[in-house]
Amino acid sequence: MQTTAVAIHCQVEDATTVIRLTGTWRLRNLPDVIAALGGFTLPRAGEVVLDGGGLESIDTAAAFVLLERLAKLGCAAAAPATRHFSDKHARLVDLVRQRMCTPTALGSLHRGVLYRIGAASVALLGELRRAVSFMGLVTIELLRMLRRPALFRARETAAQFETVCIDAIPIVILVNFLIGIVVAYVLGMEAQRYGASLFVADGIALAMCRELSPILCSVLVAGRSGAAFTAEIGTMKVEEEVDAIATLGLSPVQVLVIPRLLALGLALPLLVLAGDIAGVAGGMLVGAAKLGIAPNVFLDRVHAALELRHFLVGPGKAPVFAMFIAMIACRLGLEVKGDARSVGRNTTSTVVQCIVWVFVLDAAFAVVFQRLDI
Amino acid sequence: MEPAVRVQDVVTRFGAQVVHDGVGFTVPRGEVVALIGGSGSGKSVLLREIIGLLRPTSGRIELLGTSVWDCGVDELNALRRRFGMLFQDGALFSSLTVAQNVAVPFREHTTLAADVITPLVSSKIALVGLPPDAGAKTPAQLSGGMRKRAALARALALEPEILFLDEPTSGLDPVGAREFQRLLRVLADGLGLTVLAVTHDLDLLTSIVDRAVVLAAGKVIAEGPVDRVRAVDHPWLRSYFARSM
Repeated sequence: MQTTAVAIHCQVEDATTVIRLTGTWRLRNLPDVIAALGGFTLPRAGEVVLDGGGLESIDTAAAFVLLERLAKLGCAAAAPATRHFSDKHARLVDLVRQRMCTPTALGSLHRGVLYRIGAASVALLGELRRAVSFMGLVTIELLRMLRRPALFRARETAAQFETVCIDAIPIVILVNFLIGIVVAYVLGMEAQRYGASLFVADGIALAMCRELSPILCSVLVAGRSGAAFTAEIGTMKVEEEVDAIATLGLSPVQVLVIPRLLALGLALPLLVLAGDIAGVAGGMLVGAAKLGIAPNVFLDRVHAALELRHFLVGPGKAPVFAMFIAMIACRLGLEVKGDARSVGRNTTSTVVQCIVWVFVLDAAFAVVFQRLDI
Repeated sequence: MEPAVRVQDVVTRFGAQVVHDGVGFTVPRGEVVALIGGSGSGKSVLLREIIGLLRPTSGRIELLGTSVWDCGVDELNALRRRFGMLFQDGALFSSLTVAQNVAVPFREHTTLAADVITPLVSSKIALVGLPPDAGAKTPAQLSGGMRKRAALARALALEPEILFLDEPTSGLDPVGAREFQRLLRVLADGLGLTVLAVTHDLDLLTSIVDRAVVLAAGKVIAEGPVDRVRAVDHPWLRSYFARSM
């Protein structure tokens, strides 16, 4: 397609001002159009006629820019009469001026700093309120289930348990085993200088069972299952499946939340135990390979150092972590609204919130246990 | 002048399943043409092949004289600027406001300054009959009908020569659907657009469509003005038009 130069001429015939348009008035040479219009002024007030006789072609963008310019010069968009336009061009110009009378609000999602601080504070308060209210809702539904055990969805819970626990065992073992190796190595290098390498066994057993395995497993579960909960429930929300559940006379909390909550509450302590074993095994490997501690000697040390209370700390904390992870993940899943982006945003938020809460809770546990001498 | 769309001997197979078995038709410039057919007749697949999203097993598809599946990436992208596509549920970008959605083609494909784009965007939003406050909303805040209008504004942004529509009236109530049809016809006439709509909406067919292309069992079983298509003796067409008789 050829583009011919844009020009606009103005002449006064009798009492009317005739504006003669020539050339190609299209989006692709809109800068020329704007330049041509920039220097254009109406010589005098009065009637205005647009003459399209020399017009190669015109599209809505150019027509809009023209009419807008005329409007700025004091000639209302509806006012100018048209002549010599081809049928097609006349229809287009008419369409544009019919529709352009209403100015449109544009708006942007970008806000000032102060606005965003305020919005974030309000959002945080709302988040806390919703978290508490969700906890209440789930508690009520749990109590209802205790009164009517028929509500318990065994099959769904078992299915969740499989994905949350069984499927996670390989990665939990791998990660804890590797961390066991790393910690034993670092500890061993130091301990060896004091001739105390045997105590690496004490260190590994305590560190893995009390802190590392629970934390690692929780973070893994938060990233793996927490994110999955939010994404699953969130997608169901977008597809209106959650509404369908409610419409069928079922409680979405009973169907979606409680099975996940119970499955995770049961799964995490078991994963922590698996992590304990893998971590100690990792330490034992380094002990045997690098520090000259025979596996049976290493295990004897572990038995001596690891009192039952140390061992129970991990599986004791795990259900609490699990409750937080499941609650956050399910709540954010149910809070998804409308669009696909909301699912992504809430899933991210789940992982971040879960991991932060795991560390906060772990710190709280550490203080309490220390006070109670556990 | 070459036709807006020319489809020749298109064959599409997914594994053993034959979707199109030698489909061919043309869409002349300036006409509103409907591509109709039952569910599973492959009309949406054909549309995806025409706009260059899915390669047919064999056959030739020309848009404005350019063969879609023989030209290079740059040529295809240049071609894509000359047509607009309205997806079934709008496919507006959910992270942007309506105004920002409409501004995307201008930002990506023109060198216009922001202060030129802004009024142009609002003119497009007005052109499709959206209320003035719609520009500031996000797609999730809009009703189905408004989402379609907003998506239409985005599809029309670069002054396309052809407009493709996928089920333009699905999900709209009869009143909203009729209004949207009228808008499409007004825009098609006013802007001199060629429109190819994939639809199974009989109301759309009888109200604003010039010609229809009927797809059944992998073939075009009828092509021509709606009245002529209506007269074609084919079991599917008979039952399709039965309720309006």
